[in-house]
Amino acid sequence: MALYPSQEWCDEWKIAINSDDAIAKTGKTWGVGFNGNWLFVITPGAGLVDTAYVYLEAAAGKCSDARLVDDPKEVEPGFVVTGSYTDFKSVVKGEQDFLAGVVKGTFKIKGDMVKIMRNAKFIRAVANSISSIESDYFGE
Amino acid sequence: MPTIDDFIRPKEWVSDFLSSLGKVIRQWGEERYIPIRQQVDEDWREHKLIKPLMKEVLVDLGVNSAFFPAEVGGTEMPEPMALSNVVCEELARIDSGFATACMCSIWGMMPIIFEPHRNMELLDEFGPKFCGQELFVGSFAMTEPDSGADIENYGRMQGKTIQTTATLDGDEWVINGHKIWLSNSGEVGNLYTTVCTTRPGSTDPEDIALILVPADAKGFNAGNPYQKAGMSADVNSDIWFNNVRVPKKYRLHGPGDDLKYWKRAITMGNIASTAMCVGVMKNVYEIIKTWTTERVIAGKPLKEHSMVADMLSEVAINIESTSAWMWAYTREIDHPEISGWEPWDERFELKSRGLALYASIAVEKSCSRAMDFMGSYGYSREFDIEKHWRDQKMIGLWMGGKGLKTLENARYWYDLETL
Repeated sequence: MALYPSQEWCDEWKIAINSDDAIAKTGKTWGVGFNGNWLFVITPGAGLVDTAYVYLEAAAGKCSDARLVDDPKEVEPGFVVTGSYTDFKSVVKGEQDFLAGVVKGTFKIKGDMVKIMRNAKFIRAVANSISSIESDYFGE
Repeated sequence: MPTIDDFIRPKEWVSDFLSSLGKVIRQWGEERYIPIRQQVDEDWREHKLIKPLMKEVLVDLGVNSAFFPAEVGGTEMPEPMALSNVVCEELARIDSGFATACMCSIWGMMPIIFEPHRNMELLDEFGPKFCGQELFVGSFAMTEPDSGADIENYGRMQGKTIQTTATLDGDEWVINGHKIWLSNSGEVGNLYTTVCTTRPGSTDPEDIALILVPADAKGFNAGNPYQKAGMSADVNSDIWFNNVRVPKKYRLHGPGDDLKYWKRAITMGNIASTAMCVGVMKNVYEIIKTWTTERVIAGKPLKEHSMVADMLSEVAINIESTSAWMWAYTREIDHPEISGWEPWDERFELKSRGLALYASIAVEKSCSRAMDFMGSYGYSREFDIEKHWRDQKMIGLWMGGKGLKTLENARYWYDLETL
C-alpha cells in the first residue's frame, strides 16, 4: 500500500500509466508540440499537514516522470491543478470524476482549456489509472 | 470600469473553467470571426465562410464533443445548461446566427445524450461522428409549412397537426413529409432529428415519434436556403421525406418517451435562446459604450446627456435582469434536486417560455435603443448594430414565437385550462 501522496505512490502511478493501453492510445498527441506536464497542488486538510506537490511529465501517451517536489518553482508544468486533499483523495478513491471536478470548479486549473476539452478521453484515462494503485491516506 | 464580464453570472454557479472556456471562444471570435462579420450576410447561400468556422468551433475547440459521453469520444461536461449558456453568449456576441448554427447542431441529440435517458446504441453509431475530426452537423426538424408553433404546443394541440408521418414496415420506419425553417438544413445538415407522428391527427402522446434521418438517406431532399433579413450564418431551407427508410432503432426512445425527453430539449432551447439574447445585448453594450464615450456633442460625450444616459441605463438593466433570471433557471435545470422536478418536467418548459419571451423583448428593445441614438451610424452596416438588430428578431420568432411563449407562460402561472 502506498501512502497518497508520497514518492512511492508517484512511482506506482508512473508504472500504472505506462502499462495502460487506453492511455497509450488516447494520449498519442498529448504533449506533442506543447507542454503537457502537470503539477497537482494538494492543499492541506483531512490529515495532510502541509501542501504537497505532485509533478507528472507526460507526452505521447507515456509518463517519463512522476515525483513529489518540494518547491513548485523547480518545475515548469503546462497545467497546474489545485485542490484540497479531501477532493483529490476522492478522485484517487474513485469516488469523484476528475474532469467533472475541473469543470465544476472543485479543482482550479491553469492551462489551455481547449487542450483539456479535446483530450478529455486521455485525461480521464490517466485519472482512472489511479484506481489500480493500492493507496493509504493521511489521517486514515 | 465595468465590462461585459461584470454583468450577473454567479461565480458560485459558473466555474472558472467554464468562464475561461468562454474567454477562449471570445478570443477565437475576435481573431477569426469579427474580421469577416460584415461579409457573412452575403454568404447566406454558399456558406463558404461559415462552414470552415463551424468546424473550428464545433470540432477544433471541442464544443460538439463537450456534450457527448466519454464512451463515444466526448468530454461529457457536467452542468450542460451552464456550459450551453456560456457558449451561446460568447458566440451570439459575435453573431447570433452563427451561435444558432453551432448549437442547433447538438440540439436534436439532446433527448439521447443526457442521463438517465441516454441511448447508447444510437450514440455508439453517431457520437463518434460528432466527436471526430471532421465537421458533422445535426439538425432538429420540427416546423412544417402548415404548422410551426402548433407542433411545439403539444400541451394543447397534442401533436394532432404533425403531418410528417412515420410508418413501421418490418424493421424500418418509412417517413413521408415536409419540414421547413429548420437550422442547419440545405447542404449543411448531416443528421436530422425529425418530429413525426405514427398516426396522423392523433392526440395520443405515444404517437409522437422522434426519429433520426441521415441526410444521405434515399428519398431525402433538401431545398435551397432562404435569404432572410438576418441570421445568414444559419441555413434554413425546406426538406422533404419521400418514402425515406431508416432502421427501426433510429427512433430515439419509443412511445411516450420521445415526447417526454423532447420537452427537455425544448426547455434547453428556451434557455439557450435567452443566452443568445444576452450575448447580443452584451455586444450592443460594448458598441454603444464606446460610441457614446467617443462621440462628443455640445462639448461633452454623448453618454453625459441625460436622454442618452436614460437609454443606456435601459440597455444595462435589460442585460442584468435577463442574466439573473437565466442563471436562476439554469441552476434549476442542471440541479433538478433543487425543485424536485425532473429536467423534462413540463413545468420547466412552460416557465422557460416566459424567460425566452422576456429575453426576446429585452434584446429587441436594446438593439432599437442603440439604433435610436446612433442614428444613421447605427443603421449602417459598418457599425454592427444593424446586423444585431436584424438577427435578434429571429430569436423572438422561433420556438413558437411570442404567441406560444406568452400562452405557455400564462398557462403555467395562472393554471389556464383552455389556452
